[in-house]
This record gives sequence, C-alpha cells and structure tokens, in this order.
Amino acid sequence: MSSLSARLLVSVSVLLLFFFGATIVVLDSAFREAGEQAREDILDGHLMAILAAAEATEQGTLEMPPDLQEPRFGAIGSGLYAEIRDAAGGTVWQSRSALGLDVPFGEISRDGSRQFREESLADGTPLLTLSIAVQWELPDGELRPFTFKVAESLDSFNAQLARFRQQLFGWFAAVAAIMLLAISALMRRLLRPLRDIESQIGEIEEGRRQSLAGQFPAELTGVARNMNLLIDSERGRSERYKQTLDNLAHSLKTPLAAMRALVNQGRHGPLADKFNEQIDRMDEIVRYQLRKPAASAAGGLLATAVPVGQEVDRIVDGLRKVYHDKDPEIDADVAGGLLFRGDKGDFLEVVGNLLDNACKWCERRVRIRIQRAPTAGMLVRIADDGPGIPESAVEALLQRGTRLDESTPGHGIGLAVVKDIVTSYGGELTIAGSDLGGAEFTVTLPSG
Amino acid sequence: MRLLLIEDDTTLRESLATRLEETGFAVEQAADGREGQYFALEYPIDLAIIDLGLPEVSGLDIITEVRRQGKSYPILILTARDRWEDKVDGLDAGADDYVVKPFHVEEVTARVNALLRRSGGWASSVMTAGPVSLDMSRQEVKVNDNAVELTSFEYKIIEYLMIRAGKVISKTELTERLYDQDFERDSNVIEVFIGRLRKKLDPDNEIKPIETLRGRGYRFALERDQDG
Repeated sequence: MSSLSARLLVSVSVLLLFFFGATIVVLDSAFREAGEQAREDILDGHLMAILAAAEATEQGTLEMPPDLQEPRFGAIGSGLYAEIRDAAGGTVWQSRSALGLDVPFGEISRDGSRQFREESLADGTPLLTLSIAVQWELPDGELRPFTFKVAESLDSFNAQLARFRQQLFGWFAAVAAIMLLAISALMRRLLRPLRDIESQIGEIEEGRRQSLAGQFPAELTGVARNMNLLIDSERGRSERYKQTLDNLAHSLKTPLAAMRALVNQGRHGPLADKFNEQIDRMDEIVRYQLRKPAASAAGGLLATAVPVGQEVDRIVDGLRKVYHDKDPEIDADVAGGLLFRGDKGDFLEVVGNLLDNACKWCERRVRIRIQRAPTAGMLVRIADDGPGIPESAVEALLQRGTRLDESTPGHGIGLAVVKDIVTSYGGELTIAGSDLGGAEFTVTLPSG
Repeated sequence: MRLLLIEDDTTLRESLATRLEETGFAVEQAADGREGQYFALEYPIDLAIIDLGLPEVSGLDIITEVRRQGKSYPILILTARDRWEDKVDGLDAGADDYVVKPFHVEEVTARVNALLRRSGGWASSVMTAGPVSLDMSRQEVKVNDNAVELTSFEYKIIEYLMIRAGKVISKTELTERLYDQDFERDSNVIEVFIGRLRKKLDPDNEIKPIETLRGRGYRFALERDQDG
C-alpha cells in the first residue's frame, strides 16, 4: 500500500467495522432479550386470566365464559390463542381465535411448572407458547389434571425486531460513511504540505525550480530545510567539479600554447616536429579527460530545463560567424517549446560538436532537425552534403581519439566526447548516410 | 594594422606578439582584463585577440562592453576551455571567431587576416579590384597578374587601404594603425610612401588605384570585383 491516506482509510474502515459490528451485536441481543422477556410476561398474564376464568362443571369438566376479557381471544386469526386439554389430550376448550387453526399443543406437562416454547403453526407462523399443567378440584372434590396453553404469534415481534435492526444498521452505516468522509477530508488537509513538497520536487527534477519554498508545518520544516541543503551542496559540488576541470584545462593548455609558440619560433626542424607531436598528445589527453560529461555529476535534482530552440539558434549564429567565408546553408528546425532536462553545457557540447563537424565537411548544405521522440525525450538529426563516412569507418570513428582524417584535427575527439555525453544520459548516437548526400548523425536523448 | 592582444600568460603573450609583429602587425599587449578593457575601449585598433580566462575582468565581459559601446572591430577569442558553452557564449557576446589553445601561430594569423578582410567586406582570401589583386596570406600584390615588389611598410599601407576600399582614410589613422607605438609619428612620411606606392602599382598613371582627397586623406578608388 503506497499512499498514507489509503493506509489510514483502510485501517479506520477495519476498526469501524469491528467496533460497529460489536456494538450492533450487543444492542441487537439486548433489544431481543428485553423484547422476549416482555413477551413472556404478557403471555403469562394471559394464561393467568384464562385460569381465573375457567370454572369446573358438574360433568367433571371445565367451562369458559363465552366472552373473555381479552378481545383477541374472540377474533379469528388474531394471533393470540388459548386451549385447555384434559389428561387424555382431548380438547376441553379452545378460544375462538384458534378456530380452524391447528395450534400445536405439544406434549402435556405433568406438574404445575410453566413451560415456554417456540413452536410454529402449520403455515410456518412462529409462535411463543406457554403451557401449564394443573390439578383442578371438581365440585365433587375430585382432583383432575388439565393442561392450559396460550400461544401468541411472533410475527409482530419479529417485524418489530427487523425494523429495529434496519434502523440500527441504517444509522451505523450513515455514521460510518460520515466518519470515513471526514477522515479522508482531514487526511487531505493534513497531507497537503507533503503533496506540496512532492510537486515541488517534481518541478526541481524538471528543472523548473531551484529549491523548496513556502511555509511548511513544524514537522516538515526540518525535512524541507535539509532537502534544500542537500540540493545546494550537490549543486555546489557539481559546480566546483566543473570549475576544477575548467581551471585545470586552462592552466594546462595555456602553457602548452606557450610551448608551441616558443618551439615554432625558430625554423621548423625535426626537433620542433617532435615537440609538436608531444604537445598534440598532451592536448588530446587534456581535452578528452577534462571534458567529461557533467551528467554523471548532475543527477535528477540538479537538472535544469534547457530551452532547445534558443540554444540551437545560438550555436547556429555562432557557426555562421566562424564559417563566414564558407557560408554554408544551415537549415535548422526545432520542435517548438522543446526542453532538454540536464546540463546546458552537455547539450551545447553535443549539438555544437556535431554541427561544427557538419559545417566543416559539408559542400554547401547542413540540416538540423530536433523532434520530440515518440516515447519520451528527443531525437536530434544532423545531416550534411559532404563526402559522407564509409560504413567501415563508422565504428573506428566512434572510438575515443580516432581520427578519420589526420589533416582535420579534433574530429575524432569531438565525436568521442559527444558519444560519452549521449551515453551518460542513456541515449544513443548513430551514424548513417543522409539524403543530402553526406553523413547523418542521429542522437536520441531521453528526457532526464 | 594595429592589433590588441589580451593574454595573461607572459610567455604565450610575448611569443605570440613577436610572431604577429614579424608578420607585419603592430601589436598592443595587455596582461590582464582591466588593462585589456581599457585598451580595447580607448586605443585605435583594427582587431582584438582576447583570451577568455583573464584575471580582473573576464574576456567575455570585455567583449560585451566593447560591443555595447558600439565598437565593431573584429574580435578573435583564445580559449583553453574547449567547451562549446564557452565558444557559444563568446560568439554570442560579439566575438567573431575562436582559436582553441594550444594553437599554431599560423592558425592565429590566418584567422586574423580572414577577420580583417571580412571586416572590410571581402569574402575571398584574395582581394581583387580591377587589375589589382592582394593576397593577404602570401602578402603579395599583383597588377595585371604581375607581382609587384613592395617594402613591408608599402605593403601595410596598400593592404590597409584595400581592405577598406571605397572609404576615406585619414593620414592620422594610417600613422596610428601602421606604426608601432614608439615609432616617430610624422605624417609627411605617409605622403612619401603613398607616392612610391603609386609609382610601383601604376607606373604609367593609367589605373589610379589611390585617390588623394585634399585635407581628408586617401581612398582606394578601384571598384571591387563582384566575386572578390
């Protein structure tokens, strides 16, 4: 489970289910017991009334008055029934309400104990019955056993119970729903600062923001502050790293340039050539080793959003100056609003080197196309109408420091640097022929 | 042709300056950004060579300031940090070309000549106007395809005038740009050289390449060839 609010909601739901469930069971059984007790008391009262109303006759049997105090005994199918039986099980008297109904009598009890039972009518209507066996003293002084029984339909009681349960469930469900809604609203409110931090980090990763800003609750200010410190120190470290490399390159190359100027001051001789060769070697080492991609040092949080169109325009303008005499036709087309998430220097290095090569080798035309890749990231294609690159040379060209043409220095290193940078961003560099007649370099750069 | 060279490494600056002077340029040297910026803004110069990594004021700031003050002479940057970011920033700020250290001096002089030619509106490395043609890389002047023997100072004058063909150049400007700083400045000397140049280029007084505008200066008067 990944979300805090989902966790809380699930936990609260389980708790509510348990708590409300227990409450419902307790309330339900209490209500039922109270109801049943009341039922039994009432039934007992009816039985007493029947006993009081019965009179012994000369014939040695019992007689009931035609109208009993309780009118429900007189109404057919009223739900309240009474019956008197003798010792042999023969019906002595039956209330009018039981006419036509086969009210179960159960077995005849022996002594004066009361017996409650749950029975049912032939049609399944549940009944609560109470029977009592008595020894009735006849006018001749003889004692005869009789069994009295009253029964009441449980229909209305069950209906009442069902209504009670329905209400109970209804209310608890409503309360539970309101509580869950309230809790999720509360969670949303509580978690807002976290969401805020999350979206700000997203913006930092996309390069649209430099640090976390805004008011955070006390519990989170520490987190936000430490996050900012971390980003700052990482950024500082990456800056210093680049700075160090730059300074190193500068302080190595200026003496190299001085050496070269000194060596070449005299007439060119075999010694000067050897010196030049060594200077070239040192230069290559410095150029390649000190121009490592910044990407490795600049992870997700340090990325900036580089406006691709704008930077390509700057490179093209610069190259138009540098290749003023050759004056190649540079045709640039960059998808609008495209952003490169990463180090600006890396981006300029890739496009600058490839475009510079294209201008160097082209006959007349250079073309650069940058599109959004079908998935994420972008596709850079740079083509020229120069001599092109034979397929057999492509592999060698992509190796570090390999030069295709010794007379055009720097060709190999530039490309090796491009390849390193592209690889460090998880992209790919491929070389093929172009429809313009020369070479086409294709670079895929995933976003971030 | 007066160049400004701003480079903080003494050995490199001096040996580069020596080589440039040998090729016929007058070279002003500045060892740090502050001095360099002062020279770049106040001295009469035809081109500046500026190292990007300078103490005091950065090369980039100097370029920006020079362009902000409306000076349009060509600027060549020297950069040790062989990063495209630096090159693009420099070119964007107003530089016209770059050379990456460690360079061959020949490369620098070739770029300097090309930039000077471009600043006068010439596209090809050999400037041709009617019968006169000048090849900056060879420092060679031809009239009707015949090489003309010139002293280095005569060559400097015709080169300066021809790059700016059609424009009036005052004697003062010529003295300022062509003499080394500590040279005695005497404008009469210019008249003598112009007279000699005319004789060498146009002995029969037919093509009249250099025009004198009384009280204003001189002008290279021949039409540039279209493709030149």
